[in-house]
Amino acid sequence: MALVHFENYIWKYTQTEVPALKGINLEIEEGTFVGIIGPNGAGKTTLAYSINGLIPNQYYGVRKGHVYVMGKETEDYRPDELTKIVGIVFSDPESQFTAMTVEDEVVFGMENIGLSVDEIQERLEWVVPLTKISPLMDKPPYEVSGGQKARVALASVLAMTPQILVLDEPTSMLDPISRKQVFDVLAQLKQEQHSTIIVIEHSLENLIPLADRMVLLYEGEVALVDDTEPFFEQMDFLLKRDVFPPGAIRFFYELLKGGYYQGELPLTLDEAAARLRTLMESRRR
Amino acid sequence: MIVSEQAPYIQVENLVYQYPDGTVALHGIDLAIHHGDFIALIGQNGSGKTTLSKCLNGLFKPTQGRVVVDSLDTRTTSITQMAKRVGYVFQNPDHQLFNSNVWDEIAYGPRNIQLPEEEVKARVEEAIRVVGLEERYLEQHPFFLTKGLRQRVAIGSILALRPKVIIVDEPTTGQDIKQSLEIMDFLANLHRERGHIIIVITHDMPIVARYAKRTVVLGMGEILADGPTREVFAQPDVLAKTFVEPPQITQLAQVCVDLGFDPGTMTVEEMIVRFRELVS
Repeated sequence: MALVHFENYIWKYTQTEVPALKGINLEIEEGTFVGIIGPNGAGKTTLAYSINGLIPNQYYGVRKGHVYVMGKETEDYRPDELTKIVGIVFSDPESQFTAMTVEDEVVFGMENIGLSVDEIQERLEWVVPLTKISPLMDKPPYEVSGGQKARVALASVLAMTPQILVLDEPTSMLDPISRKQVFDVLAQLKQEQHSTIIVIEHSLENLIPLADRMVLLYEGEVALVDDTEPFFEQMDFLLKRDVFPPGAIRFFYELLKGGYYQGELPLTLDEAAARLRTLMESRRR
Repeated sequence: MIVSEQAPYIQVENLVYQYPDGTVALHGIDLAIHHGDFIALIGQNGSGKTTLSKCLNGLFKPTQGRVVVDSLDTRTTSITQMAKRVGYVFQNPDHQLFNSNVWDEIAYGPRNIQLPEEEVKARVEEAIRVVGLEERYLEQHPFFLTKGLRQRVAIGSILALRPKVIIVDEPTTGQDIKQSLEIMDFLANLHRERGHIIIVITHDMPIVARYAKRTVVLGMGEILADGPTREVFAQPDVLAKTFVEPPQITQLAQVCVDLGFDPGTMTVEEMIVRFRELVS
């Protein structure tokens, strides 16, 4: 059974003419890392909010079809039940801050669901080093840098140990190092916890090495969904929809098309370099 | 690259800038900016990019050294005089938009330098035409426009002052690729058709590779590299000092230099051409 399952799901906000999502069918299996991409306005955030119940609980609109989380319709959950299962990190971390210090911010959610002091302590010992925020604990969350804010927001959501983690453009306002630090945390979660992680992101270079599956949303529909490598074999389809994969993948796609290369597309710089080396050496022999 | 015969439009000499709290953000910058320049200013957050920009438009006065713009020393020139020469577009357009409709927003600058209302009208109309804002937006509140449109309003309000130099701080942040290309094509057009000197502060290296003729790398308040973008990208060790990575295709070429690839490769197309040469 898929952990998240959209079935002919349509959502139209009351104030817009056209539905934001127009008949989504999508299954997300437990333990997969899913990258969701698409231009601004494609419906990515609406999709994210539909998983954790913000839609329909906090937004007005018309809904058709179904969204199941762990086999149960999101509508049939109590909101607090669903937020324990699905943790969401917003693109603007400040929008989720409420406390005066980073420590209180991370603890807030855990106190709110009534965890014991020991349990809170235990989770802090896990999440603080993971997100590398220990030097920040006494600072006001709105005074730390953009990259640090993103990690504080991530820490406070992770501390709730959600079964599904949704990140809505977690790094779009960050510089490259801060961006990499956020993805390093996600890589560790994937590797050590086998968490189910759904990331909406424009920065493909960081996303691709981690993603098991990729989804392209386009004009409110799932235009393409596949495992990451075959997803990028649909290069012409992607380019036509304003998706520009990183240079190394596009280079190998051209080699593939030109008959110079056979095999899978490399998904990281290291893979690309290794394959290019092998390819050149075999040609020279 | 063609070297300008004219004197530089902006001359920065041994510029040191210290914030009131004691932090020294710029340690002796020397930089000449010429007519015809389209510059990418890159470097990690905290490297001094925004501070340097604010010294170029006279908002910050040098602690030591000097900045001369169009033969005027920024220390002795009024903000009004500077605003006519160097415009700065904030990273977040919402930090500069505060009027209740688009027309007044763009008219604010010209009115502020006390131009007659006829001239204000002419400049607003010109700016609106150049940034391509449709009639129907003019009476709207900027807050209700998309970020791309708000950015156009922000650039329009700077253009209305007709500065020679336009500095744009991270124009593509939070934009998707198509929107980023639209904004950059628009800036390239201002550069080409209207002769503006453009300085773009950005972390987006594929954008730098595609648009900037010249790249200046800042790190820890110093200039680490300055030259044609291709030559700057060919120095990965210098970029690494300020935690900047060149585009992925450039990195691939650099890892495979021993196979015969060019460390200054900027596009997939160039990489393909070189590959064909190497295997034929």
